[in-house]
Amino acid sequence: MAAAKKPLSSAPLRILTAVPICDGHDSAVSTINLELARHGLEVIYLGYHCPVSTIVRAAIQEDVHVVGLSSYNGGHIVFFKEVVDRLRALGAGDIPVFGGGGGTITKADERVMQRQGTDRIFHAGTPLNDIMALIQREYGRVLKPNAKLRGDRALARAITLAEQGSGHRGSRATAKRRGSGFVVGVAGPGGAGKSTLIDELTSRFLRKSPAGRIAILANDPSHPDTGGAILGDRVSMIYAQDDRVFFRSLATRGGLTGISAATPAAIEILKHSGEFDLILVESVGIGQESDPFGLFSKKRRLVDAMLFVLAPHYGGRLQLQKIGLLNGADLVVLNKCDHTMAHTARAEITARLEANGKGQRLFGTVAAKHHDPGVNTLYDALAQLGSLEVSP
Amino acid sequence: MSSLGKIADSVDAYNAHVAAEVARARTDQKFAAELRERWAKIHETVDWTVSPTGTPLPRLALPPTDDPGAIAEYLLGQGVPGEFPYANAAYREMYLDRESGSGGGPATTGEEPMRLFAGLGLAEDTNARFHYLGKHQKSLRLSTAFDGPTLYGLDSDHEGVLGKVGEGGVAIDTVEDMVRLFAGFDLTRKDASVSMTMNAPAPIILAMFIAAAQRRFGHDCVPNLRGTIQADMLKEVQAQNEVIFPIDASLRFLCDMIEWCVPHMPRWYPVSISGYHIAEAGATPVQQAAFTLSNGFTYVELLRARGADVNHIGPRLSFFLDCGLDVEYLVLGRVCRRLWAIGMRDVFGANAKAQVLKLHSQTSGRSLVAAEFQNNLTRTAVELMLAYLNYTNSCHSNSADEPFTTPTAKYATLASHGQSIIMEESGVFKHMMNMFGGAPGLLILEKQVEKSILEVFREMDTLGGVLAAQEQRYQRSKIQEAGHNYEKQIYSGARPIIGLNKYKSDEPMPSVPLARTSPKKQRLQVERLQAFKKKHAKQAPDALHRLENVARGKGNVFAELVNTVEVCSLGQITACLTNVVGKFRPMV
Ligand code: B12
Ligand SMILES: Nc1nc2c(ncn2[C@@H]2O[C@H](COP(=O)(O)OP(=O)(O)OP(=O)(O)O)[C@@H](O)[C@H]2O)c(=O)[nH]1
Ligand SMILES: [Mg+2]
Repeated sequence: MAAAKKPLSSAPLRILTAVPICDGHDSAVSTINLELARHGLEVIYLGYHCPVSTIVRAAIQEDVHVVGLSSYNGGHIVFFKEVVDRLRALGAGDIPVFGGGGGTITKADERVMQRQGTDRIFHAGTPLNDIMALIQREYGRVLKPNAKLRGDRALARAITLAEQGSGHRGSRATAKRRGSGFVVGVAGPGGAGKSTLIDELTSRFLRKSPAGRIAILANDPSHPDTGGAILGDRVSMIYAQDDRVFFRSLATRGGLTGISAATPAAIEILKHSGEFDLILVESVGIGQESDPFGLFSKKRRLVDAMLFVLAPHYGGRLQLQKIGLLNGADLVVLNKCDHTMAHTARAEITARLEANGKGQRLFGTVAAKHHDPGVNTLYDALAQLGSLEVSP
Repeated sequence: MSSLGKIADSVDAYNAHVAAEVARARTDQKFAAELRERWAKIHETVDWTVSPTGTPLPRLALPPTDDPGAIAEYLLGQGVPGEFPYANAAYREMYLDRESGSGGGPATTGEEPMRLFAGLGLAEDTNARFHYLGKHQKSLRLSTAFDGPTLYGLDSDHEGVLGKVGEGGVAIDTVEDMVRLFAGFDLTRKDASVSMTMNAPAPIILAMFIAAAQRRFGHDCVPNLRGTIQADMLKEVQAQNEVIFPIDASLRFLCDMIEWCVPHMPRWYPVSISGYHIAEAGATPVQQAAFTLSNGFTYVELLRARGADVNHIGPRLSFFLDCGLDVEYLVLGRVCRRLWAIGMRDVFGANAKAQVLKLHSQTSGRSLVAAEFQNNLTRTAVELMLAYLNYTNSCHSNSADEPFTTPTAKYATLASHGQSIIMEESGVFKHMMNMFGGAPGLLILEKQVEKSILEVFREMDTLGGVLAAQEQRYQRSKIQEAGHNYEKQIYSGARPIIGLNKYKSDEPMPSVPLARTSPKKQRLQVERLQAFKKKHAKQAPDALHRLENVARGKGNVFAELVNTVEVCSLGQITACLTNVVGKFRPMV
């Protein structure tokens, strides 16, 4: 079997996978995700219990080649149709939808579903290699500039083109109000809580800025050998699943700077659109020396402000000294303050920042907590920096 | 060290103790004499029976030995059925025929182990299935499967869920549905037992069950209600993915419910600590056992931290394991019982009643495949045999149409009859207890499996214990990796699946009758729900307000839910609680 055949387009094939609402069967899709990434695909995984609106919004913003649904708890005929219909209604009917669900989706169901616009069903017993080969063969079309695309689709396609290295800009979008486009980089070690914090900040933004939009660019590493990636930041978002949020996952595609090579262009595209008041950019988990947002280079500085997130287990004073970004960060966050080591960490970081002598403030947060007051304080500081609305 | 490290150490210490006692039995004459005397006494308690073809048999098989070392090894290492460390069984006689006993010895539990999980369509459809299955069973055993919206705490009129209403289980929105679900059954009967596979919204659903029972059997019926609700939120986070509220809040609601049930419902098991879902999601048997037991110990710690007495809660915990075809399943239940008993006794100081792991088993759904699906009957029969060899206290057998649909009546009946054939028709389990315990293969397997489980305990211990490991996705990533491996083994041919990757015929996939819920029924459910909401539109806001206050404070949420469900629907209650505690951030 031709397992790792190259996709037709030179850029990796991007696929969105998800399990429908009220369904938690994720074992099959987890296996499929791992196989897809192993075969060099970029997988944006939305998790289980996903409503139609979340899936369709993600398909559009992530500009994927194809959507793959794994459904087990029945009602698939209705659910797949709703996804297809909504994609069509939003001008994204060209994104094919396929899926599987073991024996629960019968051949007869498949025929009905195909009539209603689903591309195909992978039935029980289909060998994994056959699935991979077919996806690579059938769905790797080249995503091209398309002047007919509107709104988030246009933005998303512009970013796709930037990822492919072609310099096309998104057309100035049809924003009704002009966002201030304040760009904040979010960096920190892997697992410190960057994504969780971004989501919590987003919830504050949506509450306090009742008309504005926010954009999030989430960078995640590509696998160094296969080139594939499971882009997992989007799935942990609970508040950012909202039409006022534009969320795009970017794989680093071999760049080792902590962000995708397309991130600068993507930021430009988002700013240029005039849609957004706030643009948050998450770097991959980073170590001591990296400078993903060009803070220390006059020419390459990508962001208006940088938020550095740490968790209490960074090692010790010595390790703390070595984190260069702590010198450039505008806002420093000690997240996971619910951990026992947080107290010591707080004192050590405070000392470190005082030594910097730049008046940097340290914020203590528990991003994982509902309505954490520490995150409120952080948001207010951020809003002030970016002159954002802070209505109650 | 988290308690997992201590538990692993306590098992090692216990094993060393057994070895030392065995050695002492061989050198210390006095001890040897004591053991022989004890052995003789045990023999005296064993009644005899006669097989239908006339062979006299003891009702308990004991190793044929007089060697004090071997006696010590048996008594301490495995235990007589019903005695510490319970490797052989939780009770002395388990499935033995009552009638064939010649009196004198300890009674059998008289418990019928079969419990068939059923749920489809609307409440009345499942009710009809319960009545149908009841005809194939000695005692009243109602095991309920709920549909997706109910499992996720959503009402049937929630946006985007209509197609899932009544699929894969029964749709329950209100206490009125709950009344319909159990219509015609006397739930207060002594031999009645109701189980509910319900997790995140378990407190709401159990409250509805109580309210429904009170409507029918009066206010005082509650202590007589018997059964189990799954409510194991840790395995939801790790494997089954039905989590609504953040983990802390989920665990609080669970503990509130357990604490309420302990005094008010003495016959109810308020949690079923489940490995089934962990295994079905892909875990190996060892991982299943290690994660399930460690989750169980975590509940004990959580409840103790809230002030509960281990001897009060211990007997109210029940367990649920998968039984598949892998060789480890020959002993998994045995090993789990033993580890649980040692950990509970030596680390948590539990008394005898609180040491016993009571086990429900289910044959593996994942082992059943669509290709040439009638082979699933054989697979299930083999798995049933393994589950019973582990002396499971209760058991569900999957239907052969498992890969396609919620079982249709025909295959559910065959699944039920499979159990009856093994238990009632065959003589394997009827006359003599513990036919196989102590067999050389079992002993070797037990030792190996136990060792591997302890290794996992120690690994989790270094991560900071169950909750810390869970936060780091330890269990999830292990399960996913094993699930991926399993599928790769199938499609590489390394794991033979007859009819799928071996000895295939060219038969096309047969079309199997499906149990699906018609759109008409789905709409009917929505209409009923809306009528209920309309009827209680005046009282609902106050009830929700009271619930909200309790949830914001430190009171027992479950105690309040019993009132709330009288006038509010599942979805209204979920929304109210989400408003207070927030939503679970998905872990994948
Ligand atoms: C594993 C399993 C579980 C596990 C799930 C663990 C997990 N985290 O995934 C557990 C035990 C938790 C579980 C629970 C439930 N389950 Co279940 N479960 C199954 C089971 C046994 C196997 C499904 C599976 O994962 N197979 C392994 C995969 C890899 O293989 P496959 O299904 O053949 O899929 C192939 C293709 O279809 C393809 N594929 C699948 N999806 C996708 C997606 C894409 C994008 C692609 C490209 C390919 C692809 O890949 C595979 C390789 O060829 C099936 C029965 C069965 N034997 O199939 C029931 C089954 C799906 N479950 C069922 C039900 C009802 C439930 C519950 C609702 C029960 C209840 N009432 O409580 C709960 C709901 C859980 C929830 N949160 O939603 C029903 C559904 C009935 C229906 N639709 O009418 C089934 C059919 C069993 C039954 N007969 O009752 N379940
Ligand atoms: N205890 C605790 N856990 C937290 C907190 N914030 C986040 N977490 C958990 O930490 C883990 C990592 O969080 P993420 O937000 O994914 O971290 P990240 O920095 O985006 O991780 P990468 O993108 O992989 O580098 C998750 O399991 C979160 O639930 C917190 O304040 N307290
Ligand atoms: Mg992240």
